[in-house]
Amino acid sequence: MKKFLYKSSLLALSAGLLLTSCDPEIDAPSANSGEADFSSYIAVGNSLSAGYADGGLYREGQLSSVPALLAQQFQEVGGGEFTQPLFTEAQRNGSGYLRLTGFTAQGSPVTANVTSELAIRSQNPTLYTKYTENINNLAIPGIKTADVQTAGYGSTQGNPFFERLTDNPGQTYLQYVQAQAQAADHTFFSIWMAENDVLGYATSGGAFLDRVITPVDKFDQNFSALVSALDGEGKEGVLVTVPDVTAIPFFTTVGPSVKQALTAAGAPGFVALTGAGNTRVQLGTAQINAAQGGVYFPLTAAAYAPLLGQPTGKYWRDLARQASASQDPIVVRLTLAGLLANYGIDTTSAFGVSVGNPIPSALLLDVTEVNNVKSATTAFNNIIKAQAQARGLALWDANAYFNSILGGFSQAGVSYSPAFITGNLFSLDGVHLTPRGYAIATNEIIKAINAKYNSNVPLVDETQYRAVLLP
Amino acid sequence: MKSRILALLGGTLLSASAMAGGYQVNLASQRQIGMGHTGTGIQTGTSSIFFNPGAMSFLRENGVTIGASAISSHIAYRAPEPTNTTAEADNDFGTPFQVYGVYGINEKLKVGLGVYTPFGSGVRWGDNWRGKYGLSEIDLQAIYFQPTVSYQITDKIGVGVGFVVATGGVNLQRVLPVQKQGSPEGRIELDGGANTAFGFNAGVFFQPTEQLSIGVNYRSKVDLKVEDGDVTFENIPDAARGNFPEGTTFTAELPMPSTLSLGIGFKPSEQLTLAVDVSRVQWSAYESLRFDFSQPVGGSTVSESGRNYDDAMIYRIGGEYMVNDALALRAGAYYDQSPVSDGYLTPETPDADSRGLSVGLGYSFSDMISVDASFLYINKKERTDTADKSNGVPGTFKATAYIPGLGVNFKF
Repeated sequence: MKKFLYKSSLLALSAGLLLTSCDPEIDAPSANSGEADFSSYIAVGNSLSAGYADGGLYREGQLSSVPALLAQQFQEVGGGEFTQPLFTEAQRNGSGYLRLTGFTAQGSPVTANVTSELAIRSQNPTLYTKYTENINNLAIPGIKTADVQTAGYGSTQGNPFFERLTDNPGQTYLQYVQAQAQAADHTFFSIWMAENDVLGYATSGGAFLDRVITPVDKFDQNFSALVSALDGEGKEGVLVTVPDVTAIPFFTTVGPSVKQALTAAGAPGFVALTGAGNTRVQLGTAQINAAQGGVYFPLTAAAYAPLLGQPTGKYWRDLARQASASQDPIVVRLTLAGLLANYGIDTTSAFGVSVGNPIPSALLLDVTEVNNVKSATTAFNNIIKAQAQARGLALWDANAYFNSILGGFSQAGVSYSPAFITGNLFSLDGVHLTPRGYAIATNEIIKAINAKYNSNVPLVDETQYRAVLLP
Repeated sequence: MKSRILALLGGTLLSASAMAGGYQVNLASQRQIGMGHTGTGIQTGTSSIFFNPGAMSFLRENGVTIGASAISSHIAYRAPEPTNTTAEADNDFGTPFQVYGVYGINEKLKVGLGVYTPFGSGVRWGDNWRGKYGLSEIDLQAIYFQPTVSYQITDKIGVGVGFVVATGGVNLQRVLPVQKQGSPEGRIELDGGANTAFGFNAGVFFQPTEQLSIGVNYRSKVDLKVEDGDVTFENIPDAARGNFPEGTTFTAELPMPSTLSLGIGFKPSEQLTLAVDVSRVQWSAYESLRFDFSQPVGGSTVSESGRNYDDAMIYRIGGEYMVNDALALRAGAYYDQSPVSDGYLTPETPDADSRGLSVGLGYSFSDMISVDASFLYINKKERTDTADKSNGVPGTFKATAYIPGLGVNFKF
C-alpha cells in the first residue's frame, strides 16, 4: 500500500510537472542595446523631463517622468541605476499641485491646490527641500535654454527647482550639468529643453516684457554648449524638438466656448490688446482656434470668458492685487488706477467687444503672437535637428508627433487626444502630460532610439500609468 | 462645455470587443474525446444523441451515460514588439458535462434525452494586464436539452432527430478608463441569463456492411439572447457618473452556429474501429456583437463591434482497439480551423487554428457498468494580430489546454 502511495504520488508529481512545464510560452526576440550603451544615463531638460504635472512637481509625477521610464526600460538592455531628486514620501506633494474638485454649472473644471505634505522650506522666496546628492535626472522645471549659462540661476533669487539641487549658488546650470556628467561618467543622455523658450511668452499672451521669446542666436549658442557638454567619444543620446504649443489644451480649451458665446450674441468680432503695450487689434470670431490665422484663449482666460459683453473690470482688479506690493486697499486702488490709465481701459464699456474695454493681452494669443511663437519654434527645431544630424544623435521629433495626433488615436482600448481632461494625455495644467501621457512620450523616444542605434529597447506598458484623476 | 467634457469621461468603454471568439466546446462524450471527438459515422452508444441521432436507432440496449471534463488551460500574451509586457490568463469554464439516456420503444424506434454543453468560454485575465480595458474576464455557457427520437428504416439505415431547447448565460467584466482620486480604476460588469431558445439536431446513419458505416449530421443554429441583463459599475467617479448610470440593463444576442458533419467508420477487424469526421461550422453567422443598453453608457445606448467570422472546417480522426472484452484503448487527433480573420482577434477567445491530440480508455466492469476516461491536449497556434478591426488587444497569443474527463455508462 505504501509503495502504491509512493508510486502514485510520484506519478501525480510528474504529471504536475508535465502540466506546468507545458504552459504556453511565446518566443520573443531578445532585448538588446544595439550600438548604444545605456549603462549610465543622464537626462537634461525642463519640467517635461522632471515629471512635472498638474501645475506642480510632486513625487508621483517624478516617479513616472520620461527619464525614469526610459531608465526603467534601459535596464532590460544593460542600463544601470538611475537616481532622481525625488521628494520624500513625507513631502510627497513637493511644490503642491492641482487637483480636480468638480465642474461648475457651466461645466468648467474646478481645481484646488494640494497644500499638505509639501517640500517647501521657505515661502518668500519659495524654496524647496534641498537635494544636492549626485543624480541622473537633471531636469529643472521652468528652465529655458536661454538660462543655462546665467550666473545666479541656482541662487535663492533664481529658479527654486535648480536652487534645490545645487550646493553652489554661483554655479550656472551648464556647469552643474558638466559636474554631474563627470560624476556619472555617462554613456547615454537625453536633452529635452526648448519648450520654455517660447512657452512663457505664449502662456502670458505676449503681454509681459519679462517673458520674451529667446533670441535665436542665444538659443543656438546655449543649446550647442549644452549638447557639447554631454556629447563626446563613446557617448550616445537623444534630442527632442519643441511641439507646437498652440495645439496643447492650455490654448485650445477655452476658445470654443468664447466662440459660441460671441456667435450667440451675434458678434462677428472682438477687440483685444496685443503685445505689452496699449495697442488694440480687431479680430474675427471665426479666427478663434482656426487652423489658419488662428487666435487662442489660454486656460487663464476661463474665469473671464463668461463676462464677455458685460461692463467689468474684474481682470484689472485681479491684476492690481497681484501687482501691488501690499494688499492695502488704498495701494491696490492706486495700482488699478495706474493700470486702467496706462492701457486706456473704460470698465463701463462692454468687455471684449468694445475698444474701451478690450480683452487683455495676457488672455489672448493673437495672430502676431502666434506667428512669433511659430517662427521661433521652427527656428529652434531646425537647430535641434541640425545638432542631432551633425553629431549622429537620435532625434524624437515631438513637434511632428503631436501634430500627427491632433485628431486623436486609440491604443489598447483607450482613446487619446490633445483634449483637456478627456484626452487622457495632458494633465490639469493643460501643458504637461499625465503619467499615461509621459509613458506614451517615452515610447516614442524609445522608437527613435531603437531606429537610430539598432537597439531593441522594450516599450513601456502605458496602461500601467494613470491619466487624469476625477473627483 | 459641460456636455463636452463630462460626456467624454471614460467614453471609450464599449468601443472595444466583448464575448467569446471560437467558443464551441467539443467535449460531448468521454469515449469520443478519446477518439479525437469523431462519432458522426459510427455507433457511439448513447452519445449518438449528440453525434448522430440516426445512429441511435441501432442501439440494442437501454442506457444512461454521465460524464464530465475538467479543463486546465492557459493563454499567454505578449504585447507588440519591442516589449517586455506579458500576461497570462486562466482559461476554463464551469465543468463541461454530458448526460444521455436512451430507451428502446421497440426494435426500430428509440427515444432519448441528452443534456450537454456545446458552447462556452471562460477567460480570466485579471484587472492589471495590458488588455484590461478590453476584458478582465468572461464566462459564457450554453446548455442544450435535447429530447430525441430515432427510427431504423431498414437494418442498414437509421434516421433521427432531436429537438434542442437551449439556455445559458454570460458574465463579462472589464476595466473602464476612468479613475476616481484615491481609488482603483472603474469597472463594468455585464451579467445575464439567456432566454430559452430552440433548434434541432438531425442525422442519417447508413451501415452498408459490417466493416463500413457512414453518417451525416446537422445541428442547427441557435441564437441565444440575453434580455434585461444587469449592468453594474464599480469605482465610478461622481464626475463621470452620468456616463455610467446605475440601474442600466442590456440586451445582446449571440449565435451558436450550425454544424454540418460527415463521418465514416471503418472496422478492419472485430477489435479495431477507425473513424474520420469532417465538420463545417457556420461561424459566418457571427457578424458582429451588439449590446443595447436601457440608458446611454459611455454616451451611447448601443455598442457594436465587428466579428465577421468565417465558416471553419474541423478534421478529425480516431480509433479504438478492444484489447479484450473489457478493455478498450483509444487515440485520436483533430485539426480545428479558427473562424477569426486577421485583424479581428479578441481577448475573449484569442482564437487560432488548433491541434488536438487525445487518448482514452474504456473498461467494462460488467454487462451493466462501464467507464470511459479521456485525456485531450489542445495546442493552439501562436498568433500575432493587430486586432484593429475588432478594436481588440494587439499582440501575440498562445493557448494550450489539458482536458481530462471521466464518464460512466449504465446499460439495462
